[in-house]
Amino acid sequence: MTDSTVPPPSPKPHMNPYWAGFGLGLVLLASYVVMGRGLGASGAFTTGVATAVHAIAPAHAEANAFYQEYLGDGTSSPLKDWLVFEVLGVFAGGFLSGVLGNRLKFTIEKGPRIGIVARLLMAAVGGALMGIGAKLALGCTSGQALTGGAALNVGSWAFMMCVFGGAYGLAWFLRRAWL
Amino acid sequence: MMAPFFKYGLFGDEFSLIVAFVTGVGMGFFLERAGFGNARLLAAQFYFRDLRVLKVMFTAIVTAMVGLYVLGGFGLMDLSLIYLTPTFLAPQIVGGIILGIGFIIGGYCPGTSCVSAVTGRIDGMVYVAGMIGGLLGFAEVYPSIERFARSTGMGKITLPQLFDVPYGLLVFAVVLMALGAFVAAEWAEKKLGGKVPAAGSLLEPTLRVTPVRAFAVSLVALGAFAAIGGSPYRSPVGKVDVRELALEAGTKTDHVSAPDLADWIIEGRNDFILVDVREAKDFAEYHIPGAINVPLASLSGDFADRNERIVFYSDGGIHAAQAWLLLRSLGYRGVYLLFGGLEEWKDSVLFPTAPAAAASASEQIAFAKRAAVSKYFGGAVQGASASPGPAVPTAPKLTPAVPTDAPASPPPAAAKKKKKEGC
Repeated sequence: MTDSTVPPPSPKPHMNPYWAGFGLGLVLLASYVVMGRGLGASGAFTTGVATAVHAIAPAHAEANAFYQEYLGDGTSSPLKDWLVFEVLGVFAGGFLSGVLGNRLKFTIEKGPRIGIVARLLMAAVGGALMGIGAKLALGCTSGQALTGGAALNVGSWAFMMCVFGGAYGLAWFLRRAWL
Repeated sequence: MMAPFFKYGLFGDEFSLIVAFVTGVGMGFFLERAGFGNARLLAAQFYFRDLRVLKVMFTAIVTAMVGLYVLGGFGLMDLSLIYLTPTFLAPQIVGGIILGIGFIIGGYCPGTSCVSAVTGRIDGMVYVAGMIGGLLGFAEVYPSIERFARSTGMGKITLPQLFDVPYGLLVFAVVLMALGAFVAAEWAEKKLGGKVPAAGSLLEPTLRVTPVRAFAVSLVALGAFAAIGGSPYRSPVGKVDVRELALEAGTKTDHVSAPDLADWIIEGRNDFILVDVREAKDFAEYHIPGAINVPLASLSGDFADRNERIVFYSDGGIHAAQAWLLLRSLGYRGVYLLFGGLEEWKDSVLFPTAPAAAASASEQIAFAKRAAVSKYFGGAVQGASASPGPAVPTAPKLTPAVPTDAPASPPPAAAKKKKKEGC
């Protein structure tokens, strides 16, 4: 008795968090040794936003000090940027690991007690807040907490404590969304 | 070997983009391996069900921190060259809280949302879209909040500097704190999350020496070594390889002639720092355009990074040569001397002597160029017959300002605006 539809292979278990952290730490260390700088994520999206705004409304972007910081001096495309290429790599690396772990799947990660629309709304709101917070703090969990944390940067450690503080402070009120 | 490689010019901008991509692949790979493409798994951190976020993050931080310490301590890497985001305490505290709130609402942070979206999570894709909206909104209101965003600046500062404790001691403290947090996390997972400590955790019920435990012990050992090892940053006590420096000094490859320096300035080259090591009052009276003043008595390496090109000058050249030796002993590679010092600068650049009337045509052409350079720097040509004596007789009073009527050459270009290095 053969079944014509082969069930997809079940996702493999995740890596031991300590070894995943060790691997991530070695990537960060290598970045420091080779480039003299650490990892990042939000900066690449900011460069993308600044480039898009500049393409649509050049005068508007040039009048704004924030966009200017991400547009460079105009001698080369702002997208030819270290962080932009790094984040392209993050997508590629995540995809590679997803393939190897049988974890590629169109799905929505949510708690059992929340609807799809509510979950997606929360994802959008959370993402927007993350964008604002990351720019105010001059970096996100990768660029500040991880990268600056390893270099014992004062601002990074203050930032990291506040991230955990903010998330733990609100967690109880949002338990229906996740548990 | 001298790291960071990029800062020492081992490869250029184009290749650095390949490095960026490869680095990103490593980062994305381990984030996805750790399960960070899954918002539920990330959020579980904040309900003590699964404290992966804490474990992965702090293991990564401790690994890189100890690695940097070891490389810096053994002199393989110059830690003063790594990019450190300046601290702006108030906006970073507020930004951190907003980011934490965004984390528990949205379930991701920017890096993890990328691996979530690319592995097919629709919530991750929506999150990325939301983040782009947030960045756009932030940029649009930035002019009105710029004052707050740039307030409470403390510059580039590390915790050891802030608390005035030895760097290595703090490394050890962070290692111990992280391991304490891991043990507490596993205990909390068991107590509050009902999770049995699995194989590969620190608290797994066997008494064996597991790889994870061995890893933890080696981190503690390296941390203890750091605690007594002092600072991994280079100290102001220099080291000299006499043979190497003697050879270098003998070959005169470290000399820059006055006409060459003049050409560099006129061309607007910005790949070197011109340093006047005379007293401040002499500097105020006259200095070569574009020079900065670092009097020899107060010389330290603070004004330049070790990978930069530095040209020293003094009146005659003795003080500049001493400054050269001091900085070479601190491991600065690209240190040069203005040959003949300011005296030579005056003789050959500012007040060149006209050749005799009988000089050949090529000499006359060469002199015409020197006359133009002299005019550019506010000098004047000396007549051939006017200076028979040994001393410079009638050098006009010099003005420190750069004359504006540049001849054939464009004015010095403004320093190229660097794109920010941070996140």
